Amino acid sequence: MSHTFARLMVLPALLFLTLLRPAAGEPNATPAAGQQLTPLLAQIEQTKVIQAEFVQTKTLQALKHPLRTSGRLVVVRGQGVLWQIDRPYRATYLIATDSVLEIGADGSRRIRKAREVPALAQTGQVFQAIFQGDTRALEAYFEVRIQSGASRWQVDLTPKPMLTRFLKAISARGGRFLDAIDIEEGGGDTTHIEFRNTLLDAPIADADREFFSH
Amino acid sequence: MRLRALSWLLFALLLATTTALKFWPTPPIETDLLALLPATERNPAAEQAAASLGRLSGERAVFLIGLPQAVDARNAATILADRLRDGRVFKNCVAKIPSPDPAALLDFYVPYRAGLLASDPHHLPVTRDDFADRLAARLSGPFGGAALPLAEDPFALFDDWLAALPFRQFRLDFEDGWLGVHDADVSWVLVSAELAGSAFDPALQRELQTALTKAEQELQHRWPTVQILRGGAVFHAAAARESAEGEMNVIGIGSLLGIVVLLLLAYRSLTPLALGLLSVGIGLCAAVLTSLAVFGRLHLMTLVFGASLIGEAIDYAIQFFSVRLGAGPDWNSGQGLKLILPGLAVALATSVVGYSVLGLTPFPAVRQIAVFAISGLVAAWLSVVLLLPWWLSRPTKQTPGALLALPAQWLDFWRARINGRTFLLLAGSLLVVAAPGWFRLTADDDVRALIQPTPALIAQEARLRALTGMEAGSQFFLIEGDDAEQVLQHEEALVQRLTAAGITTQGVSRFVPSCLRQRENQALLKASLSAQQAALDDAGFRAEALRTWQGAVGRHQACLTPADWLATPMSIPFHHLWLGATANGQASVLLPAGYRSVDILAATAADLPGVSLVDKPGSVSRLFGEFRRTGGLLLTAATVLVFAVLAWRYGLRGGGAVLLPTLLAQTIALGILGYVGSALNLFHVLALILVLGVGVNYAIFLVEGLRGGPRRQSAALLGVVLSAATTLLSFGLLGLSATPALSGFGTTLAIGISIAVTLSPGALIMATKLPGMDFTKTPCTPSR
Repeated sequence: MSHTFARLMVLPALLFLTLLRPAAGEPNATPAAGQQLTPLLAQIEQTKVIQAEFVQTKTLQALKHPLRTSGRLVVVRGQGVLWQIDRPYRATYLIATDSVLEIGADGSRRIRKAREVPALAQTGQVFQAIFQGDTRALEAYFEVRIQSGASRWQVDLTPKPMLTRFLKAISARGGRFLDAIDIEEGGGDTTHIEFRNTLLDAPIADADREFFSH
Repeated sequence: MRLRALSWLLFALLLATTTALKFWPTPPIETDLLALLPATERNPAAEQAAASLGRLSGERAVFLIGLPQAVDARNAATILADRLRDGRVFKNCVAKIPSPDPAALLDFYVPYRAGLLASDPHHLPVTRDDFADRLAARLSGPFGGAALPLAEDPFALFDDWLAALPFRQFRLDFEDGWLGVHDADVSWVLVSAELAGSAFDPALQRELQTALTKAEQELQHRWPTVQILRGGAVFHAAAARESAEGEMNVIGIGSLLGIVVLLLLAYRSLTPLALGLLSVGIGLCAAVLTSLAVFGRLHLMTLVFGASLIGEAIDYAIQFFSVRLGAGPDWNSGQGLKLILPGLAVALATSVVGYSVLGLTPFPAVRQIAVFAISGLVAAWLSVVLLLPWWLSRPTKQTPGALLALPAQWLDFWRARINGRTFLLLAGSLLVVAAPGWFRLTADDDVRALIQPTPALIAQEARLRALTGMEAGSQFFLIEGDDAEQVLQHEEALVQRLTAAGITTQGVSRFVPSCLRQRENQALLKASLSAQQAALDDAGFRAEALRTWQGAVGRHQACLTPADWLATPMSIPFHHLWLGATANGQASVLLPAGYRSVDILAATAADLPGVSLVDKPGSVSRLFGEFRRTGGLLLTAATVLVFAVLAWRYGLRGGGAVLLPTLLAQTIALGILGYVGSALNLFHVLALILVLGVGVNYAIFLVEGLRGGPRRQSAALLGVVLSAATTLLSFGLLGLSATPALSGFGTTLAIGISIAVTLSPGALIMATKLPGMDFTKTPCTPSR
C-alpha cells in the first residue's frame, strides 16, 4: 500500500536512480520530460556500475542529537543496489528485484522475499522499472522537476497529495554526478545524504560481487 | 377410440401451446453448470458461502490490455472501458481507479495501534537488545520514512502491521490511477467490470459478445499489436452455452433427419413420418413441461440429452407402423394395438425402470435428465397408443421393403448356425475376450466431466493469472463461532497454522484481530516497556518523545471490531469474507492461496474448532466417485426390476432369455471401455444402467414381433432395425458432445445398445419354448 511507497520513495538509492530518468522516459509524459538533457545526465544514464561513499544525517524530532551513518553503495544495473553502512555499526542491505537481503553486524543474514512481504514486491518491481528506464512508478507519486545548467543540475520531487502527509519534498543535486539528497518528511524530520568519491563503471570488488551473486 | 384420440390430440395441443408460452419471450433455460451440482455440504452456511462466492466471481469480468507502450495500453484500456460501458451489459466498467488513500487507512488504525501487531505474539521483541535492533533498523536502514513519526512508532511495529495487511492480493500496481503490470516487453493495464445481470443470461452474453467484438476491432485497428486477455465466469458460461446449443442442434437435427430418411425409406409414405414426429413432438413437449414443473428451470444440458431422446421416443410409433405393415390388407387398428400393446408396455416399463434408477442419484443434472426422459417417453408412448390406432385405421398398401434384406439374412444366419448351446458358447467366449478389458479400467471422478471449459479460455485465464497473481482457487475455509469475537479467534488459530505451513491467507482477522489478540498484544507491549525505554534512552530519545510512546502503549483503548472495519470504504472489496449472522451464529470465510494440494489444507485445518474446509469441486468429485462405486448396486437393482417386468410377461426362463443379450452387452461394453482406455466415471455407469432399460427393448420387440406369421415377422424385424437405427444415431451423436459426461454417456449407450441389438436374436434362440414362438422353423427372409 501507499505507506510502503512513502518508505520506498525516500529510499536514497532509489532516488539516486531516479536521476537516470530524464534520458530514458517517454516524451511529453510529464513536466520533466520536455526538458533538454544535459550531457552530464545523459552520461549517468549510460553507466552500468556506480560506486560511491555516503554520509547520511538524520535530524529527527524525537532524538536529542542528529543521527549520522556513513558507508558506501554499489549500484549494478539490472541486478540491484548494495547499501552498506559502516558507521556507527556495520549493516548491509542488498535490494534486488525480488528480495531484500539484510546482513547484520554479527553477520546474520535475513532474506525477505518479495512474495512474503508485499511491500518488497513493490520495491522490487519499482527497482526493475527504474533499471529499465521505466519510471512510471515514480511519476505516479511525484511531480518531477529538473533544473540543469552547464555544470550543475538539480532534481526536485514533489509528492502528489496522497503522500504529502508522509513526505514534504525531496531534492537531489549534482554535477558530474549525484552530490547530495535532501528528504523532508511529513512530521518535520529531515534526512541529508552526501555522496563522495563516486566511481562510474569501475570494477567491483570481489567481496561486493559475492553479495550480488548471493 | 375416436373420443380418446381427439381428447389426447386436444391435450397435446394444450401441451404444445403451454410449452410455446413458457419459451416465449425468454426460454426458462438454465446455463449455470453449477446449478447442476448437488448440495454437497452438510452445513447450510457452507453452501451459502460457496454460493455467494460463486455469485461474486460470476458478476465480475476483467480484461488485461497489453501494448509495448504504457501510454498506448492506457489509452486502449480507456477506449475499451468506454465502449463496454456504453452498452447495457455492465453496471460499471472501470479502467482508471482512484488510488487508495493512505491517510484514511492510517486514521482508521492509529487509535487501536497498541493492539495491532503483525507477527504473532511469540515473535515480538522482548529484550532491550531486541528493541535496540529494531530502532536501529528503523533509523538507519535504507528504507527511510515511515507511516508515523518516530516518537509514535519507534520500533516500526505499526509500520509492520500496515505492511502485512493483505490488501495486495494481486501483482498489480497502482500507477497514476491505473492498475498495471509489466512483463518483458508489454505493459498491461487492467479493466474491471461488473455485469448488469446474471453471467448466465443468454441475452446479456450475446450483447457482451457484440460489444466486445466491436471494441476489440476498434483497438486492433488502432494498435495492431494489442493483446486483450479476458477472464470471468461470463465467458465460460457463454462458451458453454454456445457449445451446448450447437450440440443440441446437431443432435436434434441429426436425429430428425435420420428418422425422416429411415421412415421414408421404410414406409414410403408421409403419414407414418408425420405421425411418428407428432408422437415425438408431444413427448418432448410433455418432457419439457414436466421438467419445468419439477425443477423450475430447464438446464441446457438436459436439452442436449433431450435431443438424443428423439431417437428413442420414435420407437413406439415404429412398432405400431410395423405391426400395421405386418397385417397387410387384414389390418384392424384395434386388434393391431392389442397385439403390440404388451410388448410396448414392457418396453416402456423397462426404460422407465432404467431412467428411474438414474433418478435415484442425488445429482440434479442426472435427475432432471431422468424426469425429462421418463415423462417424454410416457407421453410419446401414450400418443402412439391413443392416437395412432384412430389415425391409421386403414390398412397400408406397403410391403416390407428391401431395407430388410441385411437384417433378415442376419436372422437367418442365426437360425441356421446358432442354437442355444452355441449361443451360450458365443456368449462365454465374448466374455472371455472382454474380461481383460475390465481389469484395464481406470476411474476419474473429476467434476470437470460436467464442466469443461474451452482450452482457449483456459489459456487466456492462465496467462491472466500469471500476470496478475489473481488466484482462482475454489477451496476456502468456513469459520464459525457463537459471535464475531469467537469467529475471529477461530480464524486466528487457523491463520497461524496455515502461515506456518507456508500458505498465505486472506480473511477478516488479518484486518481486524480478535479482541483477545488485541488485548494480548497490548499487554505484551506493556510488559516490555522498561526494555523499550532503555533502548530509546540509549538512542538519545527526548523525554517528551518517550512520554508520547509510553502514552500510546499504556492507553486504555476499545477493541477494533469487524463492524468498525466493515463500515469503512476500504473494506468494500473484502465484504465477501464476512458472512455475518448464520443459523449457527456468526461466520467468516478465509481464502487460502499458494497451496499445492487440498489435502494439505484439510490436514492443516483438522481438529480446529469452528473451522471447516469447503471444497465444492472436491465434494462433488467425491460424490461422483461414491456413486460410481455404488453403481454396481444401482445396476443390480435395475436388473432385478427389469427382470421382474420381463418375467411378468415371458416367465422366468423367457425373461432371462430376453435379458441375456443386454446383460452381455453391458459386460462387453465395459470391456471395450477398458480396452480403449476410457477413465470410468459416474456417467459411464449410468449409461450402463440405461443400456439395460433401453437395450432390452430390441429383444422385446423381436420376441413380440416373431409371434405372428412371416409377414408380421419381417415387419417386426424392420421395426426393430428402424428403432435401433434411430436410437443409435441419437446416442451416437450425443457421444460427440464436448461435455465429457454427456459424451461418455452417449458413447457407452451407443456401444451397449449396438451390442444388445446385434445379440438380440440370441433372445429368440434362448426363448424358443415361449408360447407361440416357432422361431427356429419359420424362415425370416421376406417373400423371395
